[in-house]
Parts: sequence; C-alpha cells; structure tokens
Amino acid sequence: MRILKDLPELVKADVINQETAARIQEYYKSKGSSSGNPLFIVFGILGAILVGLGIILIMAHNWDELSRTTKTGLAFLPLLVGQGLCFYALIKKQDNAAWCEAGSAFLFFAVGASIALVSQIYNIPGSTGTFLLTWVLLCLPLVYLMKASITSLLYIGGITYYAIHLGYNSYSFSNSYLYWLLLSIILPHYYQLYQKKPESNFLIFHNWAIPLSLTIALVTVAKNTEELLFIAYFSLFSLFISTGNLTFFTGQKLKNNGYRLIGSLGTLVVLFFLSFNWFWKNLRKETFSITQLSTAPEFYAAVIISLLAGGLLIFQRKSKASTGIPLLAPVFILFIFIFIAGLYSTAAVVLINLLILVIGIFTMKDGAEKNHLGILNLGLLIITALVLCRFFDTDLSFVIRGILFVFVGAGFFGANYWLLNKRKTNEQ
Amino acid sequence: MNSKKVLLITFFLVALVQLYVPAKMILDQEEILKTGTPFKFKTAPIDPNDPFRGKYITLNYAENEVVVPKEENWLMGEPIYVSLQTDKAGFIKIKAVAKEKPANNQAFVKAKVGYVTDNGSRRLTIDYPFDRFYMEESKAYDAEQAYQQAQRDTSQVTYALVSIKNGNAVLKDVFIGSTSISEVVKARKLD
Repeated sequence: MRILKDLPELVKADVINQETAARIQEYYKSKGSSSGNPLFIVFGILGAILVGLGIILIMAHNWDELSRTTKTGLAFLPLLVGQGLCFYALIKKQDNAAWCEAGSAFLFFAVGASIALVSQIYNIPGSTGTFLLTWVLLCLPLVYLMKASITSLLYIGGITYYAIHLGYNSYSFSNSYLYWLLLSIILPHYYQLYQKKPESNFLIFHNWAIPLSLTIALVTVAKNTEELLFIAYFSLFSLFISTGNLTFFTGQKLKNNGYRLIGSLGTLVVLFFLSFNWFWKNLRKETFSITQLSTAPEFYAAVIISLLAGGLLIFQRKSKASTGIPLLAPVFILFIFIFIAGLYSTAAVVLINLLILVIGIFTMKDGAEKNHLGILNLGLLIITALVLCRFFDTDLSFVIRGILFVFVGAGFFGANYWLLNKRKTNEQ
Repeated sequence: MNSKKVLLITFFLVALVQLYVPAKMILDQEEILKTGTPFKFKTAPIDPNDPFRGKYITLNYAENEVVVPKEENWLMGEPIYVSLQTDKAGFIKIKAVAKEKPANNQAFVKAKVGYVTDNGSRRLTIDYPFDRFYMEESKAYDAEQAYQQAQRDTSQVTYALVSIKNGNAVLKDVFIGSTSISEVVKARKLD
C-alpha cells in the first residue's frame, strides 16, 4: 500500500499530523484484515486451478494398464480430497477468503475430473455440452456455501460454453433456453458481491464476465428470423452502456467498467458490420408475417431487451443516478427505425453510414470539449474505419478515395495539433 | 441450530450429491454390462480427442441408415427407438425405427435422428449414442493405423461390442477381427 509508505514523509512535511497518520494506518489495517491478503487469494486460486487442471489432464491420458476398478477408485480420489479441503475451510477457516476460494476452485476441477474419468472408463455417450452442464450444476452450491467468487466465474464460463455448444449448433434439436435460467441463479451472488465487496477485484471480474457471457449467449436465441437479433443486440449494448454509466461506476477506472467498454465496442462493431449493403439487400427479401413474429424467439428477445434498455435510459434521464447520457446509449432507438425502413427502402444503409459519421464527429467534439486526446482520436478512428469500409465496397474512383484518405489523415494531424495548441495557450 | 451447523449439513449434502452422480453413472453402466445383451455393430473409426476426457476413437456404424415412409415426419436430433435384429454372421441389422418404445419383447436401442434427406430419397441416418471409444492417449493413433490396415485387408471385420438393456447401451470394446483393438495395438508396439 503506497499511502502507508508515504505517511512518514507526509508527517515530516507537516502535511498531516502524527494522529492522522496513525488513524490512516489503523483504517487500512482493519480494512485489510477482513478479507485476507489478496496475494494469498490469487496464488491460492491459481495453484488450485493449475493442480485441478493437471489432474484432469493426467486422467485424460486414460491409463490402460489399470483395471476398471482401480480407475473407478481413482475417479473419486481428487473429489474426496477437494471435499476434504472445503470441509476444513468451512470448519476452521470460514473467514479466510484464500482458503475458501482455493478449496472451491480445486473441488470445481476435481468434480470435472471425476465425471470425465467415469465417462471415459465406461465410454459414456453424451456431448461436451451435457458433460459441462452436469459439472457446473454440481459445483453451483459451492458459490453460496463457500462464498466463492472464483467458482461463480468458472460457473459463468461453463454455462456460456454450454449455451454456445447447444445454440450455435443448429443441427441440434435442443435449444439453449436453460442458459438464461442458469445465469439468473448466479445473480444473487453477484448482488452480494456488489453489496459487501464493492471494491473487490472479483466484482470487477464479474462486471466483465456477465456482459461478455450475455453477448456471446444472446445469439443462441436465433431461430428463423435472425435479422431481428440485430435489434436485440443494439438494445443489449445500450443496456450495458447505461449500466456502466450508473453512479457506482463513476470514479472507477475505465478498464474496470466492463459494461461500458463491451457496450460501446459492441455497438460500434455491429454498426460497421451493418454499414455494408449485403445485410440490407437480404433484409428487403424477407417478409415478416404477424404469425411468424408471434412465434419468433428473436422478436421477443428484441422487444424485452429494448424495453429494458429504454426503461434504464429514461430512468437515467430523470434521476441523478448517472452522469449524463452517453453518446452511444440511444443508438438502439434510431436503429429500430432504420431497421423498419430497411425492410422497404435502400436508404437504410445510407442512414447507418450517416449514423457512424455523426457518432465519429460527436466523439471528436466531446474529446475537444473535455480536452481529451484519447476521445478526440477515437472519433477520428471511427471516421477512418468508416472510410476504410467504404474503400472496399463502393465504386468510387481511385482519385476520390485518395482524396478522402488525405482528408482524414490531415484531419488527424490538424485535430491533434489544434488540441495540443489549445492546451498550451490554456497553460499560459 | 446455529447457522454454521446448517452450512456444514448443506455442504455435506452437496458433497454427497457430487459423489452420488459419478457413482450412479458407474452403477448404471455396470448394470448394463453385467445383465445386458451384447450386440455387434460393424464400425469405421477415426481419431479425434476431447479436451476434458482424452483421446477417443469416433465410431461410425455401417448399419446406420434406414428408409422412412415420410421425410417430413422426422426432425434432426429428435430421440428415436431403433429395433434390432441379428444377421447370420452375428452382426446387427436395423429392423425399424420408431418414435415410441417398441412394445413387444424385441431388442431395441435409444438413438437420435442424425440426418434426414429432403430430396425424396427418404433416407434417415441414425446417430447412435455409443460413438466414442476412449483409449490411452499413446494408443489411439496406433489404433487408427491398425484399423486402416484392417480395412485394406478385406478378410478383417471391425466391429463394436455393445451391451444393451432396456434400450440403454454401453460400449464394451472395439474388435479388429476377433481381437480387441487395445490388444492389437499392444501387439503392434511389441513388433
């Protein structure tokens, strides 16, 4: 802790008195003792994960020389060791996060190793999806019993893989609706983390893992009207951006705000994807009948997520629970109109390109106002990417393309030069 | 009862469930192996692997296609019951496929619809649930090699021995000719 090292210097320089220095020391001591040394937790978990994975790999070798009974016995060995560790942690070290987290991480992999070995010994059929589902469900209670956030993260990873495995596989008869239920089961733990440990790294990891998992899994809703999923995705990203804009995240580093980053990046990526004409060409061939919509899971996903995103946006506008509305948050509303227009007219693709251009310009303006080089250049990057995309799919002559590039390049120099100059004059 | 006791009892129950699941898997398979009827399925193996469970041979079965009256009645991936009969050489032949369990006392196995043609040829491909034979990592590749050789030698038959009880199946072993594939690999290694 840097501040503790600086205390003697601050006392010496009469910035704070001895009493304040002692109070600061006391404060950090009491804060630190409640959760245990974070390094111990990190190394404990890392060690447990590596040992657990090692055991899985050793077992995957499939020892031919061992009899079926011996192999079966071995399948239970890591499981019993893991359970023993967790049991000990519960009895003796309940308040020690390192013990609880490392024990649960080890048991998580021991459960996986044990089911894998039994499947192997008996050539038990079943896809990787079913295997993973059994595995994560058996370990889910550990999240709540051991208050183990690492197990929660592994669980989120597991169910996401499960959703991909079932949903991305259109060949499959089963769909991945179970994923949504499985994800909701972990939310109370997420809420507990937010309530009790708002500054912990585990909460930051969850703030990345949950939006990532949702982004990956939403595509598995697709059935026959997958075009509607684009609306659902824009709304989901807007929901993320608005979530990342809540007061809880203000004052936090941007890299800790998974919601805002995933939401913004996702919105831009999908916008660029749709700035090409082929999607809209296909869309005009589609006819969505009312009966088709009433049974389409994509339609319900789009409606529900758009309502949620709209609700959060209105709430943020009315309350003080945020710091203004981020530029990309209302994009989903515009996109709904563009999408409807795209069903009948060729103007939609032009509108999308215009929208990207406007976003780029406003981002630059925002950067200039905030005197922030990063944001200014992000705006320029958006415009550059737009020009690059059009470079490949339009029939503009080389001269015009060349002039465009020169303009954008000059824009980079000009804008940065102007902002740096502005800073200099402000400093003087 | 204090909260720690409740916590420990709950943990104890979770631990029991964690032990019960693999134990139940073992008991179910042992039951089929001990009391089920063995059937021989002609095969065609290749050599992939699973990140969690190690190396295995994927088994494609020669007897995996059947002609159905109507293509549109069958969906990819839906569960089906395959009634079996044995030919003169002792290998299985498909008698029929149905969506319901066969009522009379005939041999059958639970499977899934792998693929249905949509060009009027009315062919349904069956996905058998016993399509993986796990092997020691160092032997899986050799096993594939041995199989390739056996295939070139037309006098050799490769088949899987599968124990079946009430439609549930456990893959017992894979044979090249009359020898277990692990024995064949072992012999090759000694040569």
